Amino acid sequence: MAWTWFHRLGSPPYIYGLAARLTPWFAWSAAALIGGGLFGGLFLAPPDYQQGEDFRIIYVHAPTAWMSLMVYSTMGISAGVGLIWRIKIAHAVAASCAPIGASFTFAALVTGSLWGGRMWGTYWEWDPRIVSELILLFLYLGYMGLRSAMDDMQRADRASAVLAVVGIVNVPIIHYSVLWWNSLHQAPSVMQLGKPTMPASMLTPLLMTLLGFTVLFAALLLVRLRAEILNRERTASWIREAVTS
Amino acid sequence: MSEFLNMGGYAVYVWTSYGLTLAVIFLNIVWARRLLAKSREDARRRLAMRGEQS
Repeated sequence: MAWTWFHRLGSPPYIYGLAARLTPWFAWSAAALIGGGLFGGLFLAPPDYQQGEDFRIIYVHAPTAWMSLMVYSTMGISAGVGLIWRIKIAHAVAASCAPIGASFTFAALVTGSLWGGRMWGTYWEWDPRIVSELILLFLYLGYMGLRSAMDDMQRADRASAVLAVVGIVNVPIIHYSVLWWNSLHQAPSVMQLGKPTMPASMLTPLLMTLLGFTVLFAALLLVRLRAEILNRERTASWIREAVTS
Repeated sequence: MSEFLNMGGYAVYVWTSYGLTLAVIFLNIVWARRLLAKSREDARRRLAMRGEQS
């Protein structure tokens, strides 16, 4: 009885309807948070005492970098759940994550390069943080390439899931790279409990963009997940109702 | 205002970063919506074909 909610999460029609209902809530809160956060970052936060106006790149670099890791974690965990318990919907979630993650990883690399070009005097360096983030982009692209190379959906799910699960080891490597190795990249300034290294006028817009990008991911994922479900449930009778309404 | 747009002399770095990020967000929205529209259309077409056969 207590487990019925869990079983419903594996039911495609239920998930399809739930995703459709939840999407606008996530989408509009993402718009408000990202809009507010970027406005605050550009207009309300004071210039950094060392980096001047350039530090404002943080309001797009930190959230895109956060997305690259969070989306990959979601993808790897869903792929693992799909592999172990053979839940189709988990594979559908993993497949929906990849294009979103790849595009934001690309954005994180380019915004980081622009920031580094100014602050470090170089756009590219074979630095632990940068290289591990580049590997993350290749993992996403490899995952997508592997899926598109296989016609059989079940085989594509399983093979790509193995790659996604193995690639998870890269996530902590990226996160701790600035602490483990001597990196050009600055150490984390937000994810430190108890000792914030920024004044509130700088930190609040940053937290808004981080949260905003997270709910944006939820909205994008739910839209893509509905498409994945429709493509997988080819013969199910509930689909007629879903696509004609 | 022009001083603000200038961003301390390195405007191009800041504005390019913001522009690129907003473009990635916009493209993600377009791609996701287009994917769903296509999947719905495909499903509708499959159903119509099956309807004709029976």
